[in-house]
Order: sequence, then structure tokens, then C-alpha cells
Amino acid sequence: MAKLTFRIWILIIVLILSLISIFGLPPSFLEKGILITGVEQNSSAFEQGLRQGQIITAIDGKSIETMDDFSKIIQEKYPSGSEVKTILNLKNSEIIYFSKNVPEITFSNIPKTNLKAGLDISGGARALIQAQDKKLSTEEINDLVAITNNRFNVYGISDIKVSPVSDLSGNQFMLIEIAGATPKDLKQLIEQQGKFEAKIGNETVFIGGERDIASVCRNDATCAAITACNDANGGSICNFQFSIYLSDVAAEKHAEITKKLGINESNSGYLSQPLDLYVDDKLVDTLLISKDLQGRVTTQISISGSGVGETEEEAYSISKENMNKLQTILITGSLPYKLEIVKLDTISPILGKQFIKIILLAGLGALLAVAVVIFVRYRKFKESMALLLTSFSEIIIILGIASMIDWNLDLLSIAGILATVGTGIDQQIIILDESKQRVNLSVKEKLKRAFTIILSAYFTALVSLLPLLWAGAGLLKGFAITTIIGITVGILITRPAFTDIIKNIEE
Amino acid sequence: MTEENQQTKNWHDKYYKILLIIPAILIIFSFIYMVNFYNQHGDFIKKDISLTGGTSVTLYEKLDVLELKQGLQDKLQDVNVREVYDLITKEQKAVIVETISGADETRNVLENYLKHELSDENSSFEFTGSSLSKGFYKQLLIAILIAFLAMGIVIFLIFRIFMPSLAVILSAFADILMTLVTVNLLGIEVSTAGIVAFLMLIGYSVDTDILLTSRVLKREGDSLNKKIFDSFKTGMTMTLTALLSVLVALFIVRSFSSVLTQIFTILSIGLVFDIFNTWITNVSIIKWYIKSKHG
Repeated sequence: MAKLTFRIWILIIVLILSLISIFGLPPSFLEKGILITGVEQNSSAFEQGLRQGQIITAIDGKSIETMDDFSKIIQEKYPSGSEVKTILNLKNSEIIYFSKNVPEITFSNIPKTNLKAGLDISGGARALIQAQDKKLSTEEINDLVAITNNRFNVYGISDIKVSPVSDLSGNQFMLIEIAGATPKDLKQLIEQQGKFEAKIGNETVFIGGERDIASVCRNDATCAAITACNDANGGSICNFQFSIYLSDVAAEKHAEITKKLGINESNSGYLSQPLDLYVDDKLVDTLLISKDLQGRVTTQISISGSGVGETEEEAYSISKENMNKLQTILITGSLPYKLEIVKLDTISPILGKQFIKIILLAGLGALLAVAVVIFVRYRKFKESMALLLTSFSEIIIILGIASMIDWNLDLLSIAGILATVGTGIDQQIIILDESKQRVNLSVKEKLKRAFTIILSAYFTALVSLLPLLWAGAGLLKGFAITTIIGITVGILITRPAFTDIIKNIEE
Repeated sequence: MTEENQQTKNWHDKYYKILLIIPAILIIFSFIYMVNFYNQHGDFIKKDISLTGGTSVTLYEKLDVLELKQGLQDKLQDVNVREVYDLITKEQKAVIVETISGADETRNVLENYLKHELSDENSSFEFTGSSLSKGFYKQLLIAILIAFLAMGIVIFLIFRIFMPSLAVILSAFADILMTLVTVNLLGIEVSTAGIVAFLMLIGYSVDTDILLTSRVLKREGDSLNKKIFDSFKTGMTMTLTALLSVLVALFIVRSFSSVLTQIFTILSIGLVFDIFNTWITNVSIIKWYIKSKHG
């Protein structure tokens, strides 16, 4: 009769914990609804309590099972332009959403497991950014990460990860990762230094950022809106306008500079020089200053701009985007140096599912191949099954840890898992063969010898992986981490348990 | 012991030193080849765009590969086009265009050629700047070097005897060198993932060498030949399971992921050389060492 030793118990417990970590408790594949993956900051959806990570199970009492259900109901409810009430049922509570607009959220189906596939599998964007002609200190890179995070948030992209990374040569990078679909203008949004300057002649009146700008009106139709659309050059042009509020310092500066100006000769209602708006040293708009404002300390200023498109619809949405961009840099301010994108990957999500299928198939195929060799070599059902099941549980434990630490499994991580399971099987073969030696030793002694060999192999593998944690701006970290987790789980949990299982079978 | 076993062992006792000539010749040939290769290409490998810098675009539509290549040849630098297809139906799933040109330029050329816009609904872009990829390459080489040195130190610490430890390290080195030569002979353009595969090989190839050396040095009782033969049985099971599973995985992902395809290809080549280097190179050296020690 097999006895469950302490080590086998550890394997069983860790295995159960891993399964819980992967599938959740209660298992998430039993849940219905959609998952909110992002909420636009300062939007009415945010103000009314919608947050990233919430699960919407029903709208107005109608339960939702898929993303399509949700989109259909919402789109039917919100073409009107007037305020509409919607009751959103969350898992444990409900939110009454009251707005003219569709809730400003991004969402997805509830993932069936807590495992996350890397960008190179499920799609998304990844950018590695460096400062141009400048070596950044750790502090500077942290500031850059904070500003960029803020900028994405203000712009309305929240499902994003920005982190500082460094490599073996001490270079500092900023790594930006966005899962799922790639936002439009991503490149511009990242790369743009965001230097906003309002000038009269050669004198700077105010710049973007909180020193000069107290607040910016957004998401409020009374002070930020598309004002008019006109036909132009066979296309269409739409103008936007929004108010900003200057700080006292900037307002006084504005008064001082305008005091010196004369009256515009051709248009007597305005001052002789306009207010020129520059973004990253490019003139984006020129605003005439009303002569009533001369020398006065005004804090409210109206900023305008436009968007051009082939159709009015297109011009409207481009104009809206431009307004959002300008608002974003006015709020977040400028970076003190130019940035350079040194790596930019935008991976389409369309093949993601098929990719995962292929990988699972490859894993299954590999395991079957192992099974064949093992059965042919040992011709003993119990031992062979023990070996295969232990290896399989090793995969589950690695995946369990990966979902616990929120690890994104990219292609290299998957290669890492394969490598680990491969070496794991190798080591179990050593254990099995050592136990069968016809030497005058107890089974225990034999297995102890096997363990010495395995420990040696473990340490050689471990040291050879360590440099990868830093090489290549951390892009190979996935491989290194998964493999290190894998071989460590092997040496601490699965190998000891397998040893005891074999001891059971042999005795 | 059966008579047959007795005979093979006698054969091996007679010729094991001469057997060493084969790896010696191969190693010398590999060195000459690599020196030659380095002089010709200025590097140890042919690098793909993940290591030289450039753009790789995956277009999710059906296109004629040859026609596309001809159409792009004079507009983009160093264009390479290949297809991705479904393993079972052989249906074309996508086309991959690789060039050392920048991402924006490549996008413009492709959009003009295809006469439609490229978004993340119909394409994937991967761009690596050339200075970054040069840095990558340098660091990966350093990583491999550190990994190899660290592995060597651990081996010396485990066995604490010079010759057997050196034999393990030499077999691992020969393994990597021969794999490198084969990869170059096959004309494979190595990517970042490929270099990671070489690193994985360090771990895989010393496993069997460690097994052999520990059994020969630390086990008492059995004859030397029996220890070697037992290790051979265990080691071959290990390498064959690894090789077979990698080959199966390779066959399945081959049409789909260039990253995994390259890793599995390099691993398979390395595992084959591992059989050779463990059971000829390492066995002969350690047998020689034991025999000379015991007179």
C-alpha cells in the first residue's frame, strides 16, 4: 500500500494551490459577464464609480454573457444625445450610470484563467524608449515613467504598463506595454516631447504644465467643444475650442506683455500681435487677442485649433483627437529632453487564439513523444505514469506561480517552460535509473546519490541563466524567470516527491 | 554480463583513444571554419533583423510571396519575404516581410504597394533600432560568456578534480561550437531567440556529462565499463526524450512561429551533437584518465 509521505503531500498541496491560482476560486470560467479593462480618467464613467477590474453581469436587468451583448445594448441606448439612465449590475453591487455618452470604458470577455499571454502571442504594443543624446539617471527615468503614465491616463489609455528597465551596459530605458489593440497615434504620443509654448512675438507667455496652467477644461461641453465644421479644399475642416485657466504668475505675465502692444491696423478690434501656440517648436495655431484684454490680468484663455479630413465625420473625429492631444500636453507639461523610440512592436491580436492553440498542441505533442520513449524504455506502467504525471504537475505549478505573480507568458517564457520540463524529465530518468541499480545499497542511499547529480545540474543551469535577467533591456527576462522558477520548483518540490513515489513503488 | 556486452567493451577498450580523433578533427575543422566565417562576415553568425536592426512586418492576407518580393526589392533595403501557413490545411495565413529599413518607411512602401491602409487589424509591425540591436547582440554574447564561465566554475566545484571537470567543459564547448558551425552551414539567420537557444544548450549539454562523470568518479563497486555503459543507458534515454519532444514541438510550430522554430531547431542540432560529445569525447577522456590513474 502506497503511503503518502510528507514530500508527496507538499506536491499535492502546491498542485492544488496552483490550480486555484490559475483558475481562481470559484473558477472564473464559470462566471458570466464582461470585464472592464480600462476607464477613462475624469470621465463620467469614472466619476460614477466604474473602475478597471470590475465585472459587469447585467444591464438594466438583462444579463450579459458576451462582449457583443454588451455593445449591442449600449449602442441601442445611446444615440439620442440626451441623458439616459442605465443600471449596471456588478458582481456584488450595482451602479446607476447617468450620462449623455456611452460609458468611457474598454472591456473584454472574462478571461477563463488568470494566465496572461505575452504581447507577442495575444497582441498588443510594446515600445522601448531612450532619451536622445542623453544618458538618464535612475531618478530621471523614474520621472519620465511618471510623466508618461500621467500622459496616457490623461489621454484616456489606462490599460497600460510603463516601467523603467536597464541593461547590462547600464543603459536606462522606459518600457511601455499595452495589451490588446494598439491605440492610434501611439508613436506620436510616446515620442512627442510635449513642449507647449504660447508666445507673443518672441516672448513666451506661458507653457504647458501645472506651473503656468491651473486647469484645463475637458469633457465639459460648455467650455470644450467642436465649434464648427466647414467644407474646405474638397474636404472638411472642423474647429475646436476649449478654455484653460492660467496661474496667477502666468496671467500677470500675459498682462505685462500685452500692455506693450499696439492696435492691429487692419482689424481694430484686436491687438497688433497675436498669441502663437507652438507644440514641440511647431506653430499649431495663431490666436488674435481682443483689445479689451490689453494689460489686464486675465486667467481664462480660450485655446482653439482644428482638424482636417476627407469627410465631415472624419474631420470631426480628427479635430476631437487633436483637442485631446493638446489638452493632454497642456495638463502634463513637457519633458526636459527629446525621446527616441529604439524598439516598437505592434502585434495584431487577430492570430492570438490560434497561436495559443498551436502552442498547446506543441506541448501536448512533446509530452506524448516523451511518453513513448519512457514506455518503450521502462515497459513498466506505474513508474512511467509516475514520471509523466510528475512532469505534468510541474507544468501546472509553473503556470500557477506565473499567474500568481501576474507574469505575462511570452514566446520565450514558453520555450523556458519546455526547457524546464525537459530537464525535469531528464532528472527523473536519473532518479529512476539510480533506484534500479543492482548495487548493495538501500533504495534510500541510491536515491540520495541521484540527488547529488541533480543538484549539480541544477546549479549549473541556474548560474547560466542569471546573466539573462539583465541582458537585452530585460526583454529576455521572461525566459530567465520562468526557467528559474521551473527548475527551482523541480528541485524543491517535484523531484523530492517523485523520489518518494519511486521509493513507494520499489519497496 | 552477456558475451555480447563483453565483446563491445573489449572493442571499446581497444579503440577509445583512437575514437578521440573524430572529435579532435571535427573541433579543428570547426575552428578553421569559424575563423574563415568570421573573416568573411565580420561576425560569428549571420544575424537576422532582431540583431541588426530593422523592421519585420506580418501581413495577415494571402499574397504571392515571389511577386511581393519583386515588387518591394528596389523600394526597401534587403527585403526578405516568407509565408506563414496552417500546419494541417497548408492554407496561407500571413506573409512576413523583413527589411533593414525603418518602420515608417516600410509602412509607406507597403501601403503604396498593397493600396490599402495597414492597421493592427491586418498587420503586425516589429521595429528594432540598429543601435539598440547592436547593444543587444553584444550583451547576449557577454551573457553567454558569463553563463559558460559560471557553468565551468560550478563543474570544478562539484568534481574538484581537474581532468574530468575539464572533459565536461570541453564537451559542452565542442557541443556549442559544432552547433554553431551547423547553424552557419545551414545559412540560418540567428535571432535574439536563437542566441537564447545557445544558452539553453549549455544547460542541456552538461546534464549528461555530469551524470557520466559522477557515476564514474563517485560510484564504487562496478567496473569502469559497467559504470560507463549504465550511464550511457540513462543518458541516452534523457537525450532521446529531449530530442524527440523538441522535434515534435518543432514540427508543430514550424509553420507558425519563427521565434520558437529557431529555438527548437538549434536545440535539436545541439542535442544530436550532445550525444556525440558525451559518449565519444567525454567518455574517452574520462576513461583515459581513470585508466592512467590506476596504472
